Amino acid sequence: MRHYEIAVFAMFILMIWAVTSVQADSGDINKLDNPDSGAFGDMAYDNAGLDDEFDEESVPQVYDPLSGYNRFMTTVNDKLYFWVLKPVARGFEFVIPEPGRLAINRCFRNILFPVRLVNNLLQLEMKGAGIECARFGVNTTIGILGFSDPAKSWLDLDACDEDFGQTLGSYGVGSGFHLVLPLFGPSNVRDTLGMVPDYFLNPINYIDSFALRAGVESLEKFNYTSLHLGEYESVKKDAVDFYPFMRDAYEQNRKMKIEE
Amino acid sequence: MRCLLLVILVFYCLSQNVMAENKDDVEKMLKCRLDSVISVLEKNDLSTHEKNKKVVEIVSPMFDFPQMAKLTLGKRHWPGLSKDEKKRFTELFVNRIKTSYCDKLTLYTNEKVIYKETIQTKRRLRISTYLMSKDNNISILYKFFEKQGEWKIYDLEIQGVSVIQTYRMQFNQILQSGSIDDLLLKLEEPVNS
Repeated sequence: MRHYEIAVFAMFILMIWAVTSVQADSGDINKLDNPDSGAFGDMAYDNAGLDDEFDEESVPQVYDPLSGYNRFMTTVNDKLYFWVLKPVARGFEFVIPEPGRLAINRCFRNILFPVRLVNNLLQLEMKGAGIECARFGVNTTIGILGFSDPAKSWLDLDACDEDFGQTLGSYGVGSGFHLVLPLFGPSNVRDTLGMVPDYFLNPINYIDSFALRAGVESLEKFNYTSLHLGEYESVKKDAVDFYPFMRDAYEQNRKMKIEE
Repeated sequence: MRCLLLVILVFYCLSQNVMAENKDDVEKMLKCRLDSVISVLEKNDLSTHEKNKKVVEIVSPMFDFPQMAKLTLGKRHWPGLSKDEKKRFTELFVNRIKTSYCDKLTLYTNEKVIYKETIQTKRRLRISTYLMSKDNNISILYKFFEKQGEWKIYDLEIQGVSVIQTYRMQFNQILQSGSIDDLLLKLEEPVNS
């Protein structure tokens, strides 16, 4: 039943992608309408040639045909954060001391090992795959089910985070248009599709009881948030116009992760 | 005793010439200053406000703030501003960026900074670092350019997100639909969290 729903969802996204990618070409033409920026020729303005690095031409603009919906969903997620996520995470913070929450967080990360391993392999990152195996082996045994991280503290092995969105990106799949997902936040077509294989690689999703699975997933989310309180607020403070800021930051961050 | 050490460290760093000449010097200067930032952040007897003030004092000489302000508007918008507007904008922007950078350091810094690599191309220098945070590493890339023999920071990339780039896109959007006054007004708005 669950799998069926995901398939329908993926089809739906693919359809939107197909329709909008036809319009993508006409969107590019609009960019040429920009007034000729070179016309000013202000020599004193930029004598080190720094401007070129940030020029509209060298930095591709994010394709965003659903900006109305995306803006709306950003507001919804914002409310969810302040009304639900943050208060509950604060409760966690109050009840469980930080070392405990860090241990829970490490355990969840350890469970997500298949996602990282498979995506490292798919990207032919053999070193990353090897490190992941070593980490999983050491942390599950000596680290007691991943609650502690001796692989990092003793062997200095850091997790090699990879997901299927990055795998697609590393094979040259474009990001498609920007898409803000309910609960998950900023994403794009490629990364949303990438969530499907990752879903099947996530052991938590093989828990049969829906209630238990939802509980475990909520625990992970709330626990994680409790360790990162204040970060969202700080990012929000940086923004002059919140939605485009989040969008551009997301796409730039993903670009870095894919290139890594 | 620790306090005295800190004071010595901070003074030593401040006395270190910002006019670093080559790659190694720039690296050394950045390391030294970030080390003193961390020792300030680790002091528990200071309020957040005092800490931030000290951090700004330590890091400010490394940045070319006016250049950064110019870059966020770009050659498309900057030359069209009047002298007063330029001044006002620079003031507001610099304030904002200082607060924001402090915020990030305070939020993420746990114990140390790791230096990954330095890449030099002719008149640019990129030093990539990681801040060790509680459960992951936050990458911060410092981008320097050479200005009359001095190396100054013109952009930061935090987790791959360029500070200049994101501001530039936002400002461009505001200026396309409004005037510089709208932008200044937005920047003047008290930051609510």
